[in-house]
Amino acid sequence: MKLSSVNYLVGKGIKSVWKNKMMSFASFCIMLVSLLMVGLSVLASININKIISGIEGKNEVIVVIKDGLTDEAVTSLETNIKDINNVDTVSFYSKEEAWESMIKNMSQAEKDLFQYTDGDNPLPDTYKVSVKDIEKMAETTNRMSTLEGVESVKASSEFADVLISIRNIFSVIAIAVVIALIIVCLVIISNTTRTSVFSRRKEINIMKYVGATNKFIKIPFQIEGTIIGLLAAVAAFILTMFVYRGVFNLFQGNYQLWSILGINSLYSFKSIFLPVAVAYLVAGAVIGAIGTTISTSKYVKV
Amino acid sequence: MVEFNDVSVTYSSGVDALNHVSLKINDGDFAFVVGSSGAGKSTLIKLILKEIDATEGTVTVNGFNLSKLKRRKIPNLRRTLGIVFQDFRLIPTMTVYENVAFVLRVIDAPKKYIKSRVPYVISLVGLAHKAKAYPEQLSGGEQQRVALARALVNDPQLIIADEPTGNIDPALSYEIVELLKGINECGTTILMVTHEHDIVRHFGGRIININAGSIAFDETIGGANEA
Repeated sequence: MKLSSVNYLVGKGIKSVWKNKMMSFASFCIMLVSLLMVGLSVLASININKIISGIEGKNEVIVVIKDGLTDEAVTSLETNIKDINNVDTVSFYSKEEAWESMIKNMSQAEKDLFQYTDGDNPLPDTYKVSVKDIEKMAETTNRMSTLEGVESVKASSEFADVLISIRNIFSVIAIAVVIALIIVCLVIISNTTRTSVFSRRKEINIMKYVGATNKFIKIPFQIEGTIIGLLAAVAAFILTMFVYRGVFNLFQGNYQLWSILGINSLYSFKSIFLPVAVAYLVAGAVIGAIGTTISTSKYVKV
Repeated sequence: MVEFNDVSVTYSSGVDALNHVSLKINDGDFAFVVGSSGAGKSTLIKLILKEIDATEGTVTVNGFNLSKLKRRKIPNLRRTLGIVFQDFRLIPTMTVYENVAFVLRVIDAPKKYIKSRVPYVISLVGLAHKAKAYPEQLSGGEQQRVALARALVNDPQLIIADEPTGNIDPALSYEIVELLKGINECGTTILMVTHEHDIVRHFGGRIININAGSIAFDETIGGANEA
């Protein structure tokens, strides 16, 4: 196709956005709402994932060390624990530290009771181990319990299971919502543009009689759809920015409370600015183009 | 050149529109196709445009064997044809100039050629002064002349005029046929479908009469204006 034809077709697409103002505006609004719903669902889902991963980070495994091991044996146990794939960090927690911390948290009556143990510390030395992937928790604790010098391994695997299922459910819901919204979006866009294609069916008919190829007939409509999609994407991006910032500020205001629960902070808008903008633009353009392709196909067949 | 070789068309409703029609229209011919409604005139045109396919037999148009022509090649066939409809079928949102130029844009003609060819063709049909007007600002006769310019602009080998005078005043009808005759004299084949016997008698030439799906009469007669 010649450059002059490309210019002509692009120009025609742009002009018809303006010529069919009402139809274009209707498509724009529907696309804006759909893009916003998809975008906000995705953002909510990735932030929920981040929050959950924060809680996961708090989830520690306590490795109780056998009493009476030599210093070398304790150090080599640490190395052995670190060698396990899924292990993230390992920190030593001595029986003295544990004792002090326990006494500190006791009421006076309990302290009075424990004064008779004077000097005889019944608590064991432990390692606090955090894991990378909570889903492999069971496998990791099993491996640790087989290591030499380990008395026992304590992990709250039930909590881990709950977190995993919450995250999985969220992921499935998010994916389902996104797919459903994209389909709805395509159907609505193709229906809206169908009206505009229908109103120009005479023009399309004449084009066919004078020997226009299907491509030549469809391109202006696709450009029109793409332009509307891009405009809706820009508007959706700006609205998302305001909504996101509002939610982010609300969340940050209560962050002290959340952090105690081990909840991670949300992604700042600055850190996700570029991927969100690109995703909106690409989705807007693609949905606009595909939507109009579906609606034109019926009238374009020669 | 148009050649029908033992062509039959049966619609899915069971109606036999054409029965074993054989017909040849040579390059440079001017032929009137006449017949009552439902005789098969429209079917004949639809076959030439490859809007429908023959149930039996072969149709050849400007060197294209239509039974073997693939769908995506149909635009190539139609670029060798010019079509004039009874209802003009101009695009109301385009000026006279744009309506005509549109055909050349569709076939990817160079910009320079469009700029020189379009005004020339518009002047041929006598509408140079109305190039910037919109179809609704023109009379029926003028609109049909624009349609004629549009059919002519890509220099087709064959122009099919489907009842071109059906929607315009009788006096102006003669002008349109005169224009078609003039175009024919420059070498373009013309196939004009009409049911206006006065026009046929006036101009004469080759008359193909279709009746109930068959050719009832195909001969050349002298026109009244030649007498």
